[in-house]
Amino acid sequence: MAEAMRQINPDVVAAFPITPSTQIIEDFATFVADGKVTTELITVESEHSAMSACLGAATAGGRVMTATSANGLALMWEMLYIAASMRQPIVMTVVNRALSGPINIHCDHGDSMGARDAGWIQIYAENNQEAYDNMVMAPVIAEHMDVRLPLMVCLDGFIISHSIETMELEEDQAVRNFIGPYRGLHPLLDTDHPVTWGALDLHDYYIEHKRGQYAAIETAQSVIEDVSERFYRTFGRKYDLFESYRLEDAERVIVAINSVAGEIKEVVDSLREAGERVGLLKIRVFRPFPYAQIARALRGAKVVIVLDRSTSMGAYGPLFGEIRTALYDVEPRPLVYNRTFGLGGRELFPDDIRELFAEGERCLQNGKVEKTFDFLNVRGD
Amino acid sequence: MNEKYRLKKWQDLPAGGVITEGGNAADYETGAWRTWKPVWRKEHCIHCLTCWVFCPDGAFLLQDGRTAGGKDRKEIREIDYSHCKGCGLCVRECPVNKQRKGPAIEFVREET
Repeated sequence: MAEAMRQINPDVVAAFPITPSTQIIEDFATFVADGKVTTELITVESEHSAMSACLGAATAGGRVMTATSANGLALMWEMLYIAASMRQPIVMTVVNRALSGPINIHCDHGDSMGARDAGWIQIYAENNQEAYDNMVMAPVIAEHMDVRLPLMVCLDGFIISHSIETMELEEDQAVRNFIGPYRGLHPLLDTDHPVTWGALDLHDYYIEHKRGQYAAIETAQSVIEDVSERFYRTFGRKYDLFESYRLEDAERVIVAINSVAGEIKEVVDSLREAGERVGLLKIRVFRPFPYAQIARALRGAKVVIVLDRSTSMGAYGPLFGEIRTALYDVEPRPLVYNRTFGLGGRELFPDDIRELFAEGERCLQNGKVEKTFDFLNVRGD
Repeated sequence: MNEKYRLKKWQDLPAGGVITEGGNAADYETGAWRTWKPVWRKEHCIHCLTCWVFCPDGAFLLQDGRTAGGKDRKEIREIDYSHCKGCGLCVRECPVNKQRKGPAIEFVREET
């Protein structure tokens, strides 16, 4: 991620270190110290200040990036909403980590899932290559004049952020050509055209501004598709709003986000060799959520198992809510159920995934769901 | 309603609620917020402009005039009820009102 940031060479990075995102800013700080980028790196005293500084730099008219995780993201909360409603295209890496407590540094998606309503575009990555590629696409999507929204590039803490993988880095110049120069929109430093940012809004205009913001994130969907297509033509790696893995004739489908998808693909391949009609739908873009496209992709499925790596206390998982909503209008409607797994870094093994597909087969035979919601791999159940 | 104060549709608003021009409070009607209304009594007014100084909304409109001795001065012309929010500061600060003469500015219930 730091390499992508070096290639992008943003005007300003304001950040505060927090595990497991620290390495990104450490590496980037080295690039700054070595003169490999011209970025103004602002070291601040908290994540609240980090996002505030990002917001100030963005309204001034700069291309701005940062990175955080879990509790750091939580401390940015207020400014996340303000950055989105002020339509500042800040790009932030979120290295997914459990949000306390008890305090834990390992992976789950509770941090970014909690921020799903903040108005940021959220793009998730299965591995380092996808994280890098999403990062290269991120400024182009966020800064598009019909979008102008902040964007989170999310990847799994430690599992991906601290693992060594073989991947393709593109040439610096090719990346810079792909991204292009930054274009400001009413920047404060344009003193010939003074503007006011962040003015008071009352009941007679607030909802109109929110409506416009909603239109922008809806528009982001087609912009993400266009930018992904241009990325494919330029660099040869193809990305859609979500990945359909052996879905064509699949009866039993798991829907999941991020690194666990790699493991599910292995299991899908081995079960496919045994003739089982199983598949995977891997979420890439969670906000804006592609309801209609996912409903089309799952039209042939009979059982849909949604894996949430976060929990909304007292409710079903956030991904499950979206998927079941997307499937409501599908005829015939598949059986669909929700499993929470992996909180705080708890492993999910290939045998667990085989058992999930086996349970799916039982549901198919019996014509009904065994349990709508449950935890996986928790002692005591 | 005055066309000038018609509220805009969401499509007509700049992204992020940015304000791209100065002095546009003049285009925003706050008169409907009033529950009490100041009424200017020209016959008692000494045109000291205290109300004009204190009014937070610039709702006292001026015109050119002359003193009894023939010197040029600014005079109160009228109250701009599209922007007067009915805060009552003018009523409280008016020196004619304080001397219990007049009053030069009365405060009356807004008709509903």
